[in-house]
Amino acid sequence: MRELDYVGKGVTRVDARDKVVGKTKYAGDIRLSNMCFGSILFSRYPRARVVKIDSSEAEMIKGVRAVITHKDIKGNNLYGYNIHHHPVLVPEGGEARFLGDSIAFVVAETSQIADEAIKTIRVIYEPLKPICSPQEAMADGAPLIHQDFEGNICAKREFIYGDVEKGFQACDVIVEQTYRTQLQEHAFLETEAGVAFLDDKGTVHIYSALQSPYIVVEDISYALGIPKNKIHIRGTPVGGAFGGKSDTTMQVHLATMAYVSQCPVSLVFSREESFLFHPKRHPYEIKMKVGARRTGKILAMEGEAIADAGPYSGRTPEVLRLTVMSLPGPYRIPNAKISGTAYYTNNMESGAMRGFGAPQAAIARECVFDKLAGEINMDPLELRRHNFLKERDPMMNPYLQKGPISLQALSSKISAMMRKPTIPSHRNRRIGRGFCFDMPVFDVSAFPELGKAGVGIAVEMFSDGSVCVFAGGVELGQGVTTVLAQMAAEELGVPIALVAVELSDTRTCPRAGRTSASRLTYVLGNALLLATDKIRSTILKRAEGQLGISHKDLFLRGGKISQKGNPQKWIEIAEVATMCSDEGLNLREEAWYKHPEDRAVYGHTFIGTAAEVEVDVTNGHVRILKLVNVHDTGKVINPKMAKGQLFGGAVQALGYALIEDMVVEDGYLKTPSFAEYPIPTSMDLPKEMVAESIETSHETGPYGAKGIGEHACNTTTPAILNAIFDATGVEPTHLPVLPEHIMAAYEK
Amino acid sequence: MRPKVVILDVNRRRHHVVLAPNVTLLQALRDLGYTDVKSGCEKGDCGACAVLMDGKAVNSCLVLAWQADGSEIITNAGLGTMDDPHPLQEAFADNGAVQCGYCSPGMILSAKALLDRTPHPSREEIIRGISGNLCRCTGYIQIVEAIQSLTKGAK
Repeated sequence: MRELDYVGKGVTRVDARDKVVGKTKYAGDIRLSNMCFGSILFSRYPRARVVKIDSSEAEMIKGVRAVITHKDIKGNNLYGYNIHHHPVLVPEGGEARFLGDSIAFVVAETSQIADEAIKTIRVIYEPLKPICSPQEAMADGAPLIHQDFEGNICAKREFIYGDVEKGFQACDVIVEQTYRTQLQEHAFLETEAGVAFLDDKGTVHIYSALQSPYIVVEDISYALGIPKNKIHIRGTPVGGAFGGKSDTTMQVHLATMAYVSQCPVSLVFSREESFLFHPKRHPYEIKMKVGARRTGKILAMEGEAIADAGPYSGRTPEVLRLTVMSLPGPYRIPNAKISGTAYYTNNMESGAMRGFGAPQAAIARECVFDKLAGEINMDPLELRRHNFLKERDPMMNPYLQKGPISLQALSSKISAMMRKPTIPSHRNRRIGRGFCFDMPVFDVSAFPELGKAGVGIAVEMFSDGSVCVFAGGVELGQGVTTVLAQMAAEELGVPIALVAVELSDTRTCPRAGRTSASRLTYVLGNALLLATDKIRSTILKRAEGQLGISHKDLFLRGGKISQKGNPQKWIEIAEVATMCSDEGLNLREEAWYKHPEDRAVYGHTFIGTAAEVEVDVTNGHVRILKLVNVHDTGKVINPKMAKGQLFGGAVQALGYALIEDMVVEDGYLKTPSFAEYPIPTSMDLPKEMVAESIETSHETGPYGAKGIGEHACNTTTPAILNAIFDATGVEPTHLPVLPEHIMAAYEK
Repeated sequence: MRPKVVILDVNRRRHHVVLAPNVTLLQALRDLGYTDVKSGCEKGDCGACAVLMDGKAVNSCLVLAWQADGSEIITNAGLGTMDDPHPLQEAFADNGAVQCGYCSPGMILSAKALLDRTPHPSREEIIRGISGNLCRCTGYIQIVEAIQSLTKGAK
């Protein structure tokens, strides 16, 4: 095993210093000369026909450069991930399907003028009765939100394994429960923002906060009828995304503004606009039925999930697929029947959010398991251990690979950390513990659909030995810049300070797909290793000629090319790079990673979470005493950043369990800002929080690494819910669990 | 009321700016190019726009620029530079206290204000000291640890 200088080390983020001294330029910080400002008129009603738009007054206002309606759009005026049915601007005669639909744009010399002018636009609407729940959407005679989607069904998924009827017949105990989860907002601190301008060749350039520059190109090209080679997207450092910037957000709006006004335009959303606009975590209702023998052996599981898709398809079909396939979790369940349906409504849009449908599945599964444990009087952790997937078991889920299973190791580690029992701090308080296990997935770029298979990267070594990586991923804060710099420095033997990483630019970075599904370490890492292999080979072969030593006996490290076993014999990498440059030997390599398995497949990790809570039974207040996350994420590339992913994901999930609730009534958002939609603050931290890793090397991962980004989001919520159940006997079936819910159940 | 000339002392540089009475300090600072002052909610909920005004941490979205007339304003960029960062900035970078970085300027200033009044705060005091600053990425733990690394009894 070779010694590593950077990989596996807690290297300080390469972008940290810029960020802490406030130098990092986010999309809203960009200033262009003669820059104008955009503003959007959103629909007044959650569902309405737009009869007439009168913008004549706005056009007269001094400082207004353009007032834009659907008539100004030359292309299809439609966009959307996979299914293009989201109008950029709702046309006269068309239907607004939620409050985030746009009716008109204004571009003006100042943002104040733009906002004032927007208010003068008169729209005549014919308000229609909104569809406010999946139940209303599926009702007989419900109006169709999209004419070509019968029954308002956005997506349907089913997953059958074994024979569930027979399975239940053989059970001694069957438990059932229905779980309802709420709409969760990403609440990234940086709202949607960007600038757009046209150059003298007619190319539109957009610098914006996003998760996939390539998807943005698709949408702009389709909606505005512009060839893709005239669209340049550059992702800026993102101030948090968590899936909320996964699809095109307002970049197509921005491009429209720049095209029609012919001005450089800045568009920055207010918090209220942001909350209204982007797709959020799907609200679900999941009906669960689980059967087992008295011994604790689970024999059958039935699950029926209903999701609120909101007005547009977006990621819903994929999220629903992951919910359905995640429901059995990391357990051997011989018979299962899982179905899911997502319905269109006029509520807020639902889509990608960290965990992507798997957190809701984990809640339903892990909570019903604790109910089962209670019925058969078995320790909940023991019940789980008894049913853990084993290596000889077949994979129920057709999209998962077989591989080493570390569930027993995870649970032993967790048990050891939870050994000491806690004494309640007051006689009115009860202590409870809850557990959750999961096998969260990460994308390995093997889905041959929607441009998801294969990932490119380019790496260049310059004549002074410095290196630049061109990668189409986006820095959302997760640390991809640092991970790629660590790997490039390791592979090319140069100090990490000599590695620059250019991200998320459709003109300079080979196609790399989206920054989501915990995929970048794996896919870009693998692509990077292929590219650096080629560069290293060129360098070593050139050095061979210089040193008179076979390239097979040379290695790169610390800025030098040295002889193995004889470190006195060496030459500077920079010197050889100069020779290569002078002699026309290529040191810029592009490489393309495609997963070796020729079928649609996800990678997976294992994670276990334990929570200990103290509940005050006089007021229902829940205090989290201890929260432990143990993750097998393969080789950990950067322990400090890996911990950050686990802590951050856990606290978001804590908010999901106990605090956050995006309330929509009759299609109107009742929680438009952080005042009504609080998220966890430092005051909500558990008294003790632990994040640990175990490292089972992944066969095809770079250095053996797997994905990590989303995974703590899956397991923390159920562990907290089960701990509350353990402390109080109150079954948590609705999220978030608020003190009044606990008190109401208690008083019954 | 008509616009008037306001004197803003920002990071030891004096600016004379003509401002309408309804312009917030946040907006005035960003318009002057101090884009390290971040806008997150414009309602005082998130703390991203925190600055030091005469030594006290304030949400600049809740202060009118006129109210800051003649005050000494320090933004995060005024604490340190790339080559010479403030110890707090360095501690944030080295302790994994930064992910997306959008909350960092405000968070660091809240920590600065805390350490200025309580040089060796307890963990609870740190947690309270940064409770007005939202962070959605880190789960706060490594932020608390970064601040703790500068206090007495730190490892």
